[in-house]
Amino acid sequence: MKRILTSVLLLLAVSLVLKAQHISDLVLTEVVVDNENGLLDENGRHSPWVEITNSSQGSVSVGGCYLSDDPGDLKKFMVPKGDLKMKLGARQVMVLHPDFPLVKGSTLYLVSTDGKTIVDSIDIPSDLPVDRSVRKLAKDAKKVLFITEAEDAAPTPGKMNSDRQEESGAEKMARTDRYGGVLTLTSITVVFGALLILLIIFSITGGFFSGKFKRSKTPSDEEAAAIALALDMEQDGDIYAAIAAAVELYLSDSVHDVESYRLTIRQGEGSAWRDKRLTFRKLPK
Amino acid sequence: MNQIIDSLQQFWQFTGFANCCWQNLVMILIGVFFITMGIVKKWEPLLLVPIGFGIILGNIPMFPGLNIGIYEDGSVMNILYQGVRQGWYPPLIFLGIGAMTDFSALISQPRLILIGAAAQMGIFGAYLLALLFGFAPNEAGAIGIIGGADGPTAIFLSSKLAPDLMGAIAVSAYSYMALVPVIQRPIMLMLTTKKERLIEMPKPRQVSQREKIIFPIVGFLTTAFIVPSGLPLLGMLFFGNLLKESGVTKRLANTAAGPMIDVVTTLIGLTVGASTQADKFLSGKSLLIFGLGLLSFVIATASGVLFVKFINLFTRHKINPLIGNAGVSAVPDSARVSEVVGTESNPSNHLLMNAMAPNVAGVIGSAVAAGILLSFLG
Repeated sequence: MKRILTSVLLLLAVSLVLKAQHISDLVLTEVVVDNENGLLDENGRHSPWVEITNSSQGSVSVGGCYLSDDPGDLKKFMVPKGDLKMKLGARQVMVLHPDFPLVKGSTLYLVSTDGKTIVDSIDIPSDLPVDRSVRKLAKDAKKVLFITEAEDAAPTPGKMNSDRQEESGAEKMARTDRYGGVLTLTSITVVFGALLILLIIFSITGGFFSGKFKRSKTPSDEEAAAIALALDMEQDGDIYAAIAAAVELYLSDSVHDVESYRLTIRQGEGSAWRDKRLTFRKLPK
Repeated sequence: MNQIIDSLQQFWQFTGFANCCWQNLVMILIGVFFITMGIVKKWEPLLLVPIGFGIILGNIPMFPGLNIGIYEDGSVMNILYQGVRQGWYPPLIFLGIGAMTDFSALISQPRLILIGAAAQMGIFGAYLLALLFGFAPNEAGAIGIIGGADGPTAIFLSSKLAPDLMGAIAVSAYSYMALVPVIQRPIMLMLTTKKERLIEMPKPRQVSQREKIIFPIVGFLTTAFIVPSGLPLLGMLFFGNLLKESGVTKRLANTAAGPMIDVVTTLIGLTVGASTQADKFLSGKSLLIFGLGLLSFVIATASGVLFVKFINLFTRHKINPLIGNAGVSAVPDSARVSEVVGTESNPSNHLLMNAMAPNVAGVIGSAVAAGILLSFLG
């Protein structure tokens, strides 16, 4: 009972930690306070907006999180729950229009679903011009480390903020390695390298893994003869006959086993066809 | 009466006869050809029969919008096709392959591992050629992997790099895998002398259970650390092998190597075949892919054979170059070709167990190559 309880508590703790880890991957990446000619909200109005980015490789739900600019009241605006649009895939971006006015010179907080844990924050400059945004740029494409830009910028709602253009591997190769020579040589080196390491490991350690270092006692000719004699006396001659018949059938191609190059001999149990006792229901003992 | 005639006319519009075009008929004939080859010639029947039937299934002319086609979201065929499209099936097949593969030949003759690497030249040779023919790098990478002679790897990589070409790539890969004896034999004979074909190789030594258990762990750690992008394939391959060799998970190994791989092979064959709808498949690009696929097999075989000849320049214990072709990962077909061609020259020279070493090394090599292409071009 104690063990079950411990396991359940452990699982709960792990799941809570995992959940927290996921929400902690959310980043406030862009804010526009004075939106006069930019993005329209669902009511067709130019309202202030906040952009949230999922910096992880997994999906994260923003539903139930809070936005606030007041450290004393972190639950000012709750992101609607149960809306599929609130689920962000890997490196996806969403835009929200909070229902409280955004104030220049304040700090905007993104708060976890518990209403207490601050996941991320962004300082809104007091001199942020109209139709300009304060934003964080991903300086490291792999780790997606966002750093707030010193200068305000032209808003890019719904797009990943990065200091470099998103370029796929294929596009990069088309630009840098047009004829494929570099990739080919690199790849061949890596394939050979990987298998060479295996070769070295198993060449050097083969003797150790195979237990060669243990001194094994090989029987002498006399001992081998004695063992063979004992086996012959112990074993039924039928077994030898069965093996010989199976080998003969296999070599003459009359029978092909399930696996090629492997001979399997199963002990005959009699089939239900000729032995009706095998179809009887077994009584519990 | 008029109403009945109207209904019949309306129904006619939904039939295959009303929607049929010559492209559908061509594809259906190709499907029938695949099935015939599988049944009559017994060329990879486990693959060619499902693929062939899938080709017929995917090319039954139909009225669009009934939500039954493989490319129509939410249809049954579309849901089954997601295993190919999203790349779920290939790692599951690799799990089964791992649970079926005996790496003893490789463990006992580590020096033959590198032949498995040399034969991957087919992949990169085809990649270079595809670039020359104007394919984008991601498409060229997906086409090149046909040279690995590994259907699941080809599907996995093309689903990630060039989903639109996947049908042609998969059919091409499986077709040439079925034709391994036909393609490889003349190349092997052309590149080797009679004297080389007579080289006898020692029988591989007995491999202990401990070695067999350690191999998948060491093999996985080595390859996965070098190419993490090959994780789905390499992980499943070595995991399946560990299930087999550990001796304590026999039930799991039996399931992976038996019912599970059978189910997935059926689904992958059928859906890959069905994805070759005439409007998407019958194009100049597909023909080019078939041509490049053939060349990649030729390059892979030649590279393996020539690599062995190269090694023989430096070693005292000569290797029979007839096992060079087995560096491609068509297990065990290419090893069988080595055996057959070897015994033709010398009936007592059995090369099968020696050829199995580069053959299984080729499986690892092609998965590593796929991982590299994915990390560069993905």
